[in-house]
Amino acid sequence: MMKLCAILILFVFTMPSWGKEPEAFPDLKLSDVQGLKEATRVLEEELKLAARPQTYVLIDLVGSTIQIKGRGIGLHQIPIIRWSGESRNELKGIHKLVARPSVVRRKIDPGAAGEQEPISLADMPADYVLSCSPPMTIVVVPSTAGETLLRGAAILGKSWWHHVQHWASSLFTDVPSTPTPHLQLTIAADHAQSLAWSLVDGMAIVIRRPTDK
Amino acid sequence: MRRLLLATSAVVLLLLLVVSTRSINPAAPEDSQAVHQPAVQDNTSLRTLQARYKTLSKQLSQLMPREPYILVDTARNRLYVKRQDEVVLNAIASTGSGTILDKPGESKSQWIFDTPRGEFLVKTKLANPTWIKPDWAFIEEGLAVPQNAAERAEQGVLGDYALGFGKGYFIHGTLYTRLLGKNVTHGCIRLNDSDLKGVYQLARVGTPIMIF
Repeated sequence: MMKLCAILILFVFTMPSWGKEPEAFPDLKLSDVQGLKEATRVLEEELKLAARPQTYVLIDLVGSTIQIKGRGIGLHQIPIIRWSGESRNELKGIHKLVARPSVVRRKIDPGAAGEQEPISLADMPADYVLSCSPPMTIVVVPSTAGETLLRGAAILGKSWWHHVQHWASSLFTDVPSTPTPHLQLTIAADHAQSLAWSLVDGMAIVIRRPTDK
Repeated sequence: MRRLLLATSAVVLLLLLVVSTRSINPAAPEDSQAVHQPAVQDNTSLRTLQARYKTLSKQLSQLMPREPYILVDTARNRLYVKRQDEVVLNAIASTGSGTILDKPGESKSQWIFDTPRGEFLVKTKLANPTWIKPDWAFIEEGLAVPQNAAERAEQGVLGDYALGFGKGYFIHGTLYTRLLGKNVTHGCIRLNDSDLKGVYQLARVGTPIMIF
């Protein structure tokens, strides 16, 4: 009888863990309606991307991570230290990477004696701008241990320059001046280089936005 | 003693039932019909959203490979064989150097020695492979490209096995093991003999290869 009672109690306490479903965003509170809406939107986008043989990027502003993914699997993860953004509504949907930082490639000298230096992570930029279609700009800024005033000024300058460029281009075209969605990500310098390495032209980017409560 | 245990388990069961009922419908007002209606609607839409989220999460997890897959990190020159979250094999590799070589006689045309990024499949599994040297291998050495195909064949340089994943790219062995961990190849993925054997045994034709 005692055994039966023990089994009964064990059964009751282990019941909730049975048939545990996989959750795409473990940080999501299932009582948060806006958070759920955003998570389902991102999942709908991600399902389209994961159904095809390709790698893609998920920028999770809620979980503060950048993930290189394929078939729904997180292949590589980069923590976001800080971020800021404008036109958050325009950040939804699938964006394709159209311009990324250029890399200075070394040219092989045929028949030259000795080994020629390959490119490495150290050759990758840590401070760069990614342009996407539909229009969106992602500014990647490296975090430095002692972030100086100079660095802060450089970040502000980059943001200001982005606005000036947009305003100038609208002067010479008939296109009405609507601001390009803009996201600034601050990540560790080596992570910024790693991200620059991993990105390829045409790569799809999905962003999970925070919900304002 | 038995009665006490029975009573305890009954109380625990009852308590759990009460708690679970409350968590499904928290703070539902009962005093007014007007207030009650939106709360019911909110709960319905919340439950619909929760169900949708769980369905989508499940659908996404179903796209993940069930069998072992190969993961290649070209930045850090690592190759892993993974079975879901478990790392079955962890190897130091050599991947593409990213260097360029001009094609002779073709202005503005170049070979770029990158390991391709994206998702691929193991298309061929070869034992004791022969390397059929492509044009760039001769040009890089400052040699003339041979007209006779037999002069392109070279034995023993690719190791004991080669796994092809399309467009002439292979996971293969190397004579230059001191260069493992560096970006030195023309796009192929090099491994040492024992890791190559492990990958050859774990992979089959159709095994996914994720490269980033």
